[in-house]
Amino acid sequence: MSHRVLEVKRLGKNFDGIKALADFSCSLQPEEILGLIGPNGAGKTTLFNVASGFIAPDTGKILFNNNDITSAPPHRITRLGISRTFQNLRFIRQISVLDNVLLSFQDQPGEKLRNVFFNWPQCREQENSNRKEAMTLLEETGLSHKAGDPAEGLSYGQQKLLSLVCCLATRSEVLLLDEPVAGIAPERIDQILRIIRSLPEQGKSVILIEHNLDAVMQVCDRVIFMDAGRKVSEGTPEEVRNDPRVIEAYID
Amino acid sequence: MEYLIHILILICLYTILSASLNLIAGYTGLLSIAHAAFYGVGAYVAALMALHLQSSFLLNIICAIVLSGLLGALVGIPSLRIRDDYFVIVTFAFQVITFSILNNWVSFTGGPMGLPGIPQPELFGLKISSHLGFLALIGFFCVVTLLITRQIVLSPFGRVLKAIREDEVFTQAAGKNVATFKVLVFVIGAGMASLAGVMYAYYISFIDPTSFTVMESIFIISIVIIGGAGSFWGPVVGAIVLVLLPELLRFVGMPSSIAANIRQILYGGLLVAFMMWRPRGFLGEYAFQNKEARE
Amino acid sequence: MLWQLIINGIIAGAGYALVGIGFALIYNVGRFFHFAHGILFTVGAYTAFLCNQLLGLPLFLSVPVAIAVTAASGCLLNLVILGPITRRGGSPLVLLLASLGLYIVIQNVISLCFGDDIKTLSLGTIEKGLDFFGARVTPVQISIVISSAMLLIAVALFLRTTGLGKAMRAVSSNAALAEVCGISSRRLVLYAFGIGSALAGIAGVLAALDVNMTPTMGLNALMMGIVAVIIGGSQSVSGIALGALLIGLAQHVGAWKIGTQWQDSIAFIILFIFLLLRPEGFLGKKIRKAAV
Repeated sequence: MSHRVLEVKRLGKNFDGIKALADFSCSLQPEEILGLIGPNGAGKTTLFNVASGFIAPDTGKILFNNNDITSAPPHRITRLGISRTFQNLRFIRQISVLDNVLLSFQDQPGEKLRNVFFNWPQCREQENSNRKEAMTLLEETGLSHKAGDPAEGLSYGQQKLLSLVCCLATRSEVLLLDEPVAGIAPERIDQILRIIRSLPEQGKSVILIEHNLDAVMQVCDRVIFMDAGRKVSEGTPEEVRNDPRVIEAYID
Repeated sequence: MEYLIHILILICLYTILSASLNLIAGYTGLLSIAHAAFYGVGAYVAALMALHLQSSFLLNIICAIVLSGLLGALVGIPSLRIRDDYFVIVTFAFQVITFSILNNWVSFTGGPMGLPGIPQPELFGLKISSHLGFLALIGFFCVVTLLITRQIVLSPFGRVLKAIREDEVFTQAAGKNVATFKVLVFVIGAGMASLAGVMYAYYISFIDPTSFTVMESIFIISIVIIGGAGSFWGPVVGAIVLVLLPELLRFVGMPSSIAANIRQILYGGLLVAFMMWRPRGFLGEYAFQNKEARE
Repeated sequence: MLWQLIINGIIAGAGYALVGIGFALIYNVGRFFHFAHGILFTVGAYTAFLCNQLLGLPLFLSVPVAIAVTAASGCLLNLVILGPITRRGGSPLVLLLASLGLYIVIQNVISLCFGDDIKTLSLGTIEKGLDFFGARVTPVQISIVISSAMLLIAVALFLRTTGLGKAMRAVSSNAALAEVCGISSRRLVLYAFGIGSALAGIAGVLAALDVNMTPTMGLNALMMGIVAVIIGGSQSVSGIALGALLIGLAQHVGAWKIGTQWQDSIAFIILFIFLLLRPEGFLGKKIRKAAV
């Protein structure tokens, strides 16, 4: 069994009596795209929230490259190398598209006050370098013409793309993508799926929550089906699709 | 002419106060009505040190800034766990408690009687005795304050502040330790406000608690908001407008007995008017709109 | 001695509870901190003063007039200023700031019209304190406690049994849902302002009768009311009553030990303890930052 990038061990989480996660375990292999599917309320986003440090689980733990990150705060988890997008699409509307991407870079000397005042040349240098990289990312995704515009002016599809670009800017090893192609035009879906498919080659691993089963089939190496906080089925996309338990759950 | 110099000194004073509060409330979105407490602490530290220790002007400034900075950190910490409208109440409480201490710890602060006889500031052997000289001094500090805020605001640090203002969750997910930024911005804002306090103490040479009440805090936040929260020149515009307007009325023959009331009605009224029609103030880009982090 | 302090504390708490309930009602239905609530306390007192001392009306007429004027003023503030701001999309912070501005304007108008000196509103007879198991209480103080208790019970019953009250509770827990169910929050907010402001006015008149009045009297009453609401939990009448009682007692018993000048600080320190340990108050709902 090869090294696992992310290991989720028996997570449990209760919200006012509702079991969002019930003894849930899974693992993510290096350079793998893992799909997470299941009906609404199955606990998929809750899993992301626990993995990214926004919620503490009641039981269980999460290991990232064998480090226990169960109780780590969100900003530390991102710095360690796990980034995420949000189902309800979060980004900073009032600043420019470029600034959103620049915000997402890690280890910026200019974010430390002592550097702002006493080491401005280093800040300037890093900022210029980040700016170049950000523009490259924006160009590759076709958003560069909007770089200076306030992010709120983007179309919904462009906003989804921006979220993904921000994740890429964090240079994290693991990306948790929450419904990256939901509710957008087919061309945009293709574009985003192409980007996701290229991530393992760059050494990254992805967990992907999606309701769009075609997308999941196209892109994922493995799929987990969740329902009511539990793992119901796991395997290749084909295997899970044909699993009678999955079919039954969807009919319910 | 003396009168004009006095007005300019006041404008510089309130520019420092509002620019520092603008960092906290305008750029980071942490609405606070505790600013007069930092202002007062600065004034009292400088006055007490000058009167009891005869220490140098610069040392007094440094001590005032350090103490106020610590108090700022204390105020900033609750903002990490408490929602923004409840946090306003917390800042209100800090303000009232600080005033209480200044007003009631008579043996230390002189209580309601205040501290008279603050000596003139002395810089590198030069005593600053004329109002014009003082204007140059406070003008210098005003420019320094504005330069510091500009440096912060245009830096990546400033970018994170603006992000926190709009969506703390996203900012955390972007790898930023939001707590550090919030506490730091309070420390800096408080430190700058205390600098204004030091200036005030030396200028008037007598201080009492009535200059550092809740009403004063509300006046300062009004300047920030009316000038334009989150804009760089907003505090300057706000300070000019809110210092000049009451003075202009006095020219039009308003009796001084009601001057204080009219002044408050003026900025209170402007606050209401702007909230009704232009919450982002004259120049601002932030109108205290709903944050993404709310449930 | 201690007994007298406890009695004084209860009387103070009764006043705070009245202010707090009105404030909480407006907060729950209107969803913002209405600082101008404090000035309605003052408006109540000064309207009674105007009617009684300047217009010569007897107290039993002045007081109802004062309450009516205060309720109407509160509604006016909502109709003319705070309501329109809400409809233009003003956030709770914007409304808080507008309310703050209103407080300042009105306090200064009162100051201009009546002066800053201490005024009194009296029943006309020199009161001797009555003896209550060894403590001194004046008739006004007894009526403060009794009317506060009665009004608190009335509000609790109103919220629990009447259609309007239940609608208000629905809106406080979920405004969007309530709107969908056909409950117009605009009218509810107006009623909340009316009732809340009337309560503040009553508290103001009683305070003026008990002690005295100045234009700034409302600020302190408001602060104590807010602390009571936060430590008691904004959605619980009994919680607010408990909170108000706690503050009143702590202040008076504490003042005995460390002096009356620290009364405000005592209340705020209690506030801090609650915000740190139990921000939702005795019986209230969470106000900590939301998660994702």
